[in-house]
Amino acid sequence: MQPELERELIRKCRAGDPRFYEPLVRAYEPPGLRLAVAMLGNPEDAQDALQEAFVKAYGTLARFDLRKPFGPWFFQILRNQCRDMLRSRKAKFRVEALDERLESRPADPEMGPERARQRNAARQLLWRGLERIGDEHREILVLKELQGFRYSEIAQILEIPEGTVASRLFHARHALQTALQDLGVEYP
Amino acid sequence: MPEPVTSQDLMRYLDGELTPDERLRVEHALAESAVLREELATFRSLRSGFHELTFVETSAESSIWHRVATHVARPTGRVFVIMGVTAWVTYGIYVIAIDAHDPWARMLVAAVAIGILALFAAVIRDRYRSWSEDQ
Repeated sequence: MQPELERELIRKCRAGDPRFYEPLVRAYEPPGLRLAVAMLGNPEDAQDALQEAFVKAYGTLARFDLRKPFGPWFFQILRNQCRDMLRSRKAKFRVEALDERLESRPADPEMGPERARQRNAARQLLWRGLERIGDEHREILVLKELQGFRYSEIAQILEIPEGTVASRLFHARHALQTALQDLGVEYP
Repeated sequence: MPEPVTSQDLMRYLDGELTPDERLRVEHALAESAVLREELATFRSLRSGFHELTFVETSAESSIWHRVATHVARPTGRVFVIMGVTAWVTYGIYVIAIDAHDPWARMLVAAVAIGILALFAAVIRDRYRSWSEDQ
């Protein structure tokens, strides 16, 4: 969504018309759901977290700085919501609940059953690896690898100095590598 | 002698966060060091695994907008309902507490009132903590 359009929608929401919030919700729902699922490990808790984050964001739009982009600000609220849920034990990262409903990529007709099975096994292994690493490692990996945020945006979302992002990413990737090696994955 | 390449430099290189000069320095170090090339290959391999993780894109029908809308579209009504129920329950407890002659009845009413107040305080505390973290 264009930043100018985003700002205009937020201005209208602030003026008291919640209808203008709908385009923002629809625009940020898919990436928000990806972040929440990857942080919480299951789609039901992720949807609850996402809904709560959108409601909280709406309630605090008055304090939102219009000179900044909406995305990182919203993802900061969502990340805090996910952490709250993990902390309060309302949710626990569990990959058992992740199933085919999450997968959108259609099976490639060119791909043989063996290749499809291998790809599925690799995906499951990665989820298992993510389950084994700490929440802090998982969230920064998700922000970088699944959401594709720049370091400056990650720093804003995680409320850390930009210089710390590279170091945290290194430790998170290293932790994931170790977890995957423990699961039998071999690296060059 | 060029500055040694740190793990953070390697991360920035991998993620395209270096300036052209810094990138040249890392590429020079990579050409010189097999260990560094191996480390980079491992991290690249880790990254490629994430490309396999894909998620269902929500359709217009399955969007959570309708769930969000019920919370953001009628805040005034909800506030009035909550205030009304709170006032009604408080008044009920007050009436029973004043009129009840049996001390046990008063104690039970007091216990209920304390319980409600404790729950209310817990909710307020949680909300305040979330609000503080979102600032």
